[in-house]
Amino acid sequence: MKGFHGCYWRFDLSRNCGERIAIEDSVLRQTLGGVGLGAWLLHKEAPVGVDPFAPEAPLIFSFSPLVGTRFTTSAKFAVVAKSPLTGFISDALSSSHFAIAGKSMGVDAIVLVGACVENSELVDGRLRPSECWGLSAEETAGRLARFGRVAAIGVAGEQLVRFANLSTEGRHAGRGGLGAVMGSKRLKAIAIRGEVATEIANPDQVDQLVRRLRKRASGESTAKYSELGTIANVLSFDRLGTLPTRNFQASHFEQADRLSAENWHGRRAHKRTSCASCTIGCEHQFAFTSPRQSEESSRANGDQREKKQTRIEYESLFALGPLCGIGDPDVVLAAASRCDELGIDTISAGATLAFAMECGERGLLADAPRFDDPDSLLGWLDDIAHRRGLGDRLAEGSRRLAGAIGQNSIDFAPQVKGLEMPGYEPRALQTLALGLSVGVRGADHNRSGAYEADFSEDVDRLCGNASSAARAIETEDRAALLDSLILCKFVRGAFEDFYSDCADILTAVTGETFGPERLRSVGKGIVDLRKAFNIREGWRPADDTLPSRFLSEPLASGPARGARLPKQRLDEMIESYNLERGWSADGYLPASRLAEIFEERLAVPTSVGSGEGV
Amino acid sequence: MIEHVVSCLRPVVDEVIVVTSAELELPELEARVVIDGEIGGGPLVGIREGLAAATSEFAFVTSVDAPFLNAKYVEALFSLGAAAAPVSEGHVQVLSAIYPCAAWRNADNHLRRGSRRPLRLLEELDYTAVSSDSAVAWCESEGPRPWHGFNEPKEYLEAVRALDPTATVELEFLGRAANRTGPSRGRYPVGTLGEVLARAESSTSLTSGPSLIENGRLRKSHLVCLGGRALVRDLSIPLGPDELVSVIDALAGG
Repeated sequence: MKGFHGCYWRFDLSRNCGERIAIEDSVLRQTLGGVGLGAWLLHKEAPVGVDPFAPEAPLIFSFSPLVGTRFTTSAKFAVVAKSPLTGFISDALSSSHFAIAGKSMGVDAIVLVGACVENSELVDGRLRPSECWGLSAEETAGRLARFGRVAAIGVAGEQLVRFANLSTEGRHAGRGGLGAVMGSKRLKAIAIRGEVATEIANPDQVDQLVRRLRKRASGESTAKYSELGTIANVLSFDRLGTLPTRNFQASHFEQADRLSAENWHGRRAHKRTSCASCTIGCEHQFAFTSPRQSEESSRANGDQREKKQTRIEYESLFALGPLCGIGDPDVVLAAASRCDELGIDTISAGATLAFAMECGERGLLADAPRFDDPDSLLGWLDDIAHRRGLGDRLAEGSRRLAGAIGQNSIDFAPQVKGLEMPGYEPRALQTLALGLSVGVRGADHNRSGAYEADFSEDVDRLCGNASSAARAIETEDRAALLDSLILCKFVRGAFEDFYSDCADILTAVTGETFGPERLRSVGKGIVDLRKAFNIREGWRPADDTLPSRFLSEPLASGPARGARLPKQRLDEMIESYNLERGWSADGYLPASRLAEIFEERLAVPTSVGSGEGV
Repeated sequence: MIEHVVSCLRPVVDEVIVVTSAELELPELEARVVIDGEIGGGPLVGIREGLAAATSEFAFVTSVDAPFLNAKYVEALFSLGAAAAPVSEGHVQVLSAIYPCAAWRNADNHLRRGSRRPLRLLEELDYTAVSSDSAVAWCESEGPRPWHGFNEPKEYLEAVRALDPTATVELEFLGRAANRTGPSRGRYPVGTLGEVLARAESSTSLTSGPSLIENGRLRKSHLVCLGGRALVRDLSIPLGPDELVSVIDALAGG
């Protein structure tokens, strides 16, 4: 099939050798690439019940049929592994020339298994002792640039911080601790390059479709991202009472104005850039003055604080700002920049710190970080990444920290399945509350866009019901397809008819006829596949829920004051969701489901689940 | 509207009970919700259900279509300590009245006999008729009567303007609409959402880019939030005094 190479490169780090392994067309037709193909490879390569840090646990870089074409936002890849934070599947996307270089190797994916005998880098297809251990990912990429495009981890990945990320060209596969998986293999970086062209079935039609998508994606459908970036959410979310504040104790932040895109644009030095192959340009970088770190450093520098510039997204801003009670723009920007240098996921870092702050307030954790304390934030991030002092416990994430603290602190640990929650207050966005609860990655705003329903006039966002299930499913299925093709979700408004347009693109690239209904079915199959991995790894229905706080405490203040999400309501929504997916009421897949899709090629045990389920 | 009525009553009663049908989706309310299983049974069925659910001696019964409901009026009506209802232009306002909660049995008997008129219940309870002038005086403000309901947005807005010709809404632009000016607020005369937006666009330079209204509809790229809660696109929605109206990007979220 055109658009693919029909194989993946499996490199065994223990043996320092790699081989190409064929992937059948039937698999590629059902999984496409990205998270779909990555999930299939994870099923295939990961031993059942494997420890995410064990050498046998695979780390997968999965490309897609559109990589290397000129479709806007198509230079993307998925990194897939069993998450050390959740114990379930983690699939994070990133955008960079790394994707194009990987596809140019003549493969559809790279699978790393085993572990290096010493700290190493994988360059030119061979391991060598690492010269970059201890450096940031950016510094590492600079050192290895002559070997091609680089994916690397920072100090946090080396230290097995469970929410360490993996970086390429300043973009991150951020969620779920994939950087820690790479660190557990003692692999600092992988540099790749190649010269193999990918055959396209119908180049003329592809050109036509490329132009059409670019045109549509240059208009109003993406203007929010190009004009303001995702930080435009801050003030709107605050007005709607959906801006999580001080560890979700409130949904309205009194200093939101100070952190708003509307205030920053025009008043703070700023530049806009794009990912590789992107015509939208959503990346907004803002200048900041690095906060003074210590008396010692200010003496050394004569109190001259450094001026820097960093990219910032809403999720980083909410997690390191309102969630920790911090409204100083310089501190929040510096913290986001520091997370990038250290190689940690900003959401999990901010949310774990915010949880520790509330534990401290409640007298459950000694010497804890404090809300509204901008002076100490950067120090805490360093402590986490280097696993120093209390930072060592914070590096385990909020769920494990709550487990260690006990005293019912898990009730207000802001996580689902161990993954820290993104910047959406679920009591005020109840379709998303469902999406977060059932997300296979954990609390996930990327694989479920259920908030799209809440931010519309079609639903009462403060009162979810059974009809929320269909809306959540629709956004999950679309996300599964976009994340496998792969195209950026920021073009989601640029399609005239989503499934038809995607089918046209895939047909022109591969030469296979992909109708809209077939693609819809592919999206659903990918959702099933990801869920099946979790079931295989011990998922139970009780994992699909929100922390007790959200189900027992109404919002006490702000525009959404009084909003509540009773457990019974959430449970009913989840049951509707499961049944509408064709699963059992408690969320198990019928035993026949994956066999239908994959002709029983996957070794998925049928003994787990509720009797007959997978 | 139901949120307005609940918030008006909350400070002056022990508990707010909303009687509704199972099919109707209500917003999140600081109120106890009681399901009326007899669809189409008329107001007396709702009164029976509400009174039966209440735990106090008396209850104030109102429809949710009461934009000028006034807490002082409700308090004064309660102070009579008996069944009571205002009489306006010869009409007894049975859906803006005090009923003893124990009267749910009387209501039930009426319904069993096929009598569905709340007025018959009030008469049986020997209610106190309150003159319209007295009731209006209790409100301590001029304007439409607290039981007055409206069928059309236009009627409501006319009543609001008659009450206070200077009444305004507060309109703010966020996101792209405020990109070049920063978050901006302004006050504009009450009107429908479409009227307020059009007036704001013509009288200020707050918004950048194309008009928010395109072919008589709110542009797809934007969405309007009322009072931080409801998200709307319908330009015919009437905006009452001091309502906070936020224009946001439709693509809210990541």
